Amino acid sequence: MKRYDCMKALAARLKDELVILSLGASVDEWYNAAPHMREASLFQQQLGCVTPEAFGLAAGLPNRRIVSLDTDGGMMFNLGILATLGNEQPKNLFVVVWDNECYQSIGGPPTHTASGRVDIAAIARGAGVDNAFTAHTLEEFDAHCAAGLAADVPYIVVAKVAGTVEPDIRRKHSDGREDKYIFVRHVEETEGVVIMGPSEHN
Amino acid sequence: MKKTAVDAVIRGLKRAGVSVVCYLPDSLFKELYPALDADPDIRTIRVTNEGEGAAICGGVFLSGKRAALVMENSGLRASVEPLARMGLGAGIPVIMLMSYRGELGENNWWAIPHGITMEPVLNALRIPYDVVREEKRIEQAIVNAYEWSYSAYYHSAVALGGEVVR
Repeated sequence: MKRYDCMKALAARLKDELVILSLGASVDEWYNAAPHMREASLFQQQLGCVTPEAFGLAAGLPNRRIVSLDTDGGMMFNLGILATLGNEQPKNLFVVVWDNECYQSIGGPPTHTASGRVDIAAIARGAGVDNAFTAHTLEEFDAHCAAGLAADVPYIVVAKVAGTVEPDIRRKHSDGREDKYIFVRHVEETEGVVIMGPSEHN
Repeated sequence: MKKTAVDAVIRGLKRAGVSVVCYLPDSLFKELYPALDADPDIRTIRVTNEGEGAAICGGVFLSGKRAALVMENSGLRASVEPLARMGLGAGIPVIMLMSYRGELGENNWWAIPHGITMEPVLNALRIPYDVVREEKRIEQAIVNAYEWSYSAYYHSAVALGGEVVR
């Protein structure tokens, strides 16, 4: 199963959601697979921060569906967030974990899931996230996207994907700071709120 | 903490517009946590480590709501990675309220590292901070931290020490 194909299937289901995205090659893949979601996606480069940030966003916007696109390396970096999701039970958070069993962006050394013994979905269930599943085929993944985007409990799908990157795709040029401004202005416009407002004096 | 100091913290958080508090409990703020839990205007989220709490606070910032990370100052060390990445990499601010463990007068050997590392770690991250040891300064110090962080879009911290927490 290719991550890029999964992304295109997920993207086809998204319209008004907000997405927080993990680091690595998946950034450029999402940028191309979901062009209509670019302003609604926060491209962050933070191992271990993605799902916690997505949960914070979900807590602040309880009426908006939030999607976290995390990774095996990122989730293993901070397993505690699974226990927090288990306790807090956010109704509007769908978490995808791209599990390619390697640290792809630095050349592919194995993560802990490569051993075949470590099961992130099972860890999540043990942490109190009852709806945590592993998908091995595109059909399974797409069905979990449909269910996870409609769920009123936290929902996690661990997508077992190949350690390959979609070739010849356009690179994203913006950095984390520009990405934040784009995302914040999108949230402000679609939620009718002020996040980064004017100074007292010009 | 005395009840009057707890009340001053909560007044400061409310004046600053805070509606979400992430915390990992400690002993010096022992009386503060149940008061935050009981406050109807504040949602508390208990976290497994302070770095996770910092990242959740960053997500709350992106929603337009205001969050605080409340912890012992040892939690600052656990938060350095997400704070560096969110603050320096993206300009996503986290406002922290921490107890000052390990300052002069500390009588626990295990707390000494917290006192020795807190201010150098804050300085390494170029995070401005206010050490407050008088109850009458608590409320305004918290408000000031939010004013600064929402102008700079960078982290700030208030550390409560001295008689305020002992």
